[in-house]
Amino acid sequence: MSSRRHLSELRGNSDLYPRNVRTGMYAWLFHRITGLALVFYIILHIFVIASVNFGGGSFDATMRLLTSKPFVLIDLTLVAVVLYHSLNGLRIIFFDLGYGIKNQRGIFWALMAVGTVIFVFAAVASSRLLFRA
Amino acid sequence: MSITDTKPQLKGQNVATVNIFRYDPSTTDEAHYDSWQVPITGSMTVLDLLFYILEHEDGSLAFRYACREAICGSCALYVNGTYRLACKTQLKDLKATEINISPLPHLKVIKDLVVDMDPFWEKYERIRPYLITRDDLPEKEFLQDPADRLKMDDMVDCILCGACYSSCPQCWTDPEYLGPAALVKMNRFTVDTRDQANQERTKIFDNEHGVWRCHTIFNCVEACPKDINQTYSIQHLKRRAVARRFGGK
Repeated sequence: MSSRRHLSELRGNSDLYPRNVRTGMYAWLFHRITGLALVFYIILHIFVIASVNFGGGSFDATMRLLTSKPFVLIDLTLVAVVLYHSLNGLRIIFFDLGYGIKNQRGIFWALMAVGTVIFVFAAVASSRLLFRA
Repeated sequence: MSITDTKPQLKGQNVATVNIFRYDPSTTDEAHYDSWQVPITGSMTVLDLLFYILEHEDGSLAFRYACREAICGSCALYVNGTYRLACKTQLKDLKATEINISPLPHLKVIKDLVVDMDPFWEKYERIRPYLITRDDLPEKEFLQDPADRLKMDDMVDCILCGACYSSCPQCWTDPEYLGPAALVKMNRFTVDTRDQANQERTKIFDNEHGVWRCHTIFNCVEACPKDINQTYSIQHLKRRAVARRFGGK
């Protein structure tokens, strides 16, 4: 006689919700998420830059706020998002031109390595703002 | 006589726990997983396992199979989190003592492991998967240069099991999308030097439910039990569609 487990118990980990999610799927998913984040950022950016309309003093105050420590950290997140979106975008362009389709995982990780190097460089460059007295 | 009368003894053998998805629309039972202990022998495949359960445990288990040698594409299943053909997957290769067997995800379940493949076949029909010629056919064989034949080597291996179609997030969200398998076959006829219907074929795949729905997610490539690179074919069709729109052939 067989024993039974009902699907309602298994819902969270059922094989009907595939778990075979590999590099390509994650790359696509994060590309979408970072894309949305960048759209949000562009709108925010327009509002911030628009502060110049209220006189130079207002713009200087905004700039002072943006160089404060929490905003430097947010900026670093932005660097990571832009790096991911642009580098994975390059990968997608390679595929559209017909290059590297059979080596998509290798290309993904190679570009992510490049992204990490650039990010470390950006983090070091901004450390002057983060660790100032 | 009950079917369990001839059941082999489990003594001294490797035993695996097998969980199989069950759903029977003729009863009021909810979909659930049934569990069995099954003795494992050396070269046993997932299909052998299903036969064991059918013969010794539950005669009402429904699953598809035909050729038993990975050429008919009937037995594609979702086993331990991967798309596999039941007939060519040996249990020892799963490297697990617990084996979960589900029908192909994201397709309507008819009964147990049998899913409704109609949407898949409908897409396959839409791409006109046969040679279309304008000129008179040759009297004997339709000769082809070996070099030209080599161009479609990757695509002819497809056995239409539906694993890629079931794994593709674009197929889940767009019921009209042709899907990886149909597009691979489309590419097979597009690169065929004997086929003379490239104009009409381009119209079928050059639209929002055709190649442009593909976002190079590569789930199909991961899923394919025949190691076909579907994305390679789809990207080839994309380039062909672009070339046509810029006034090429």
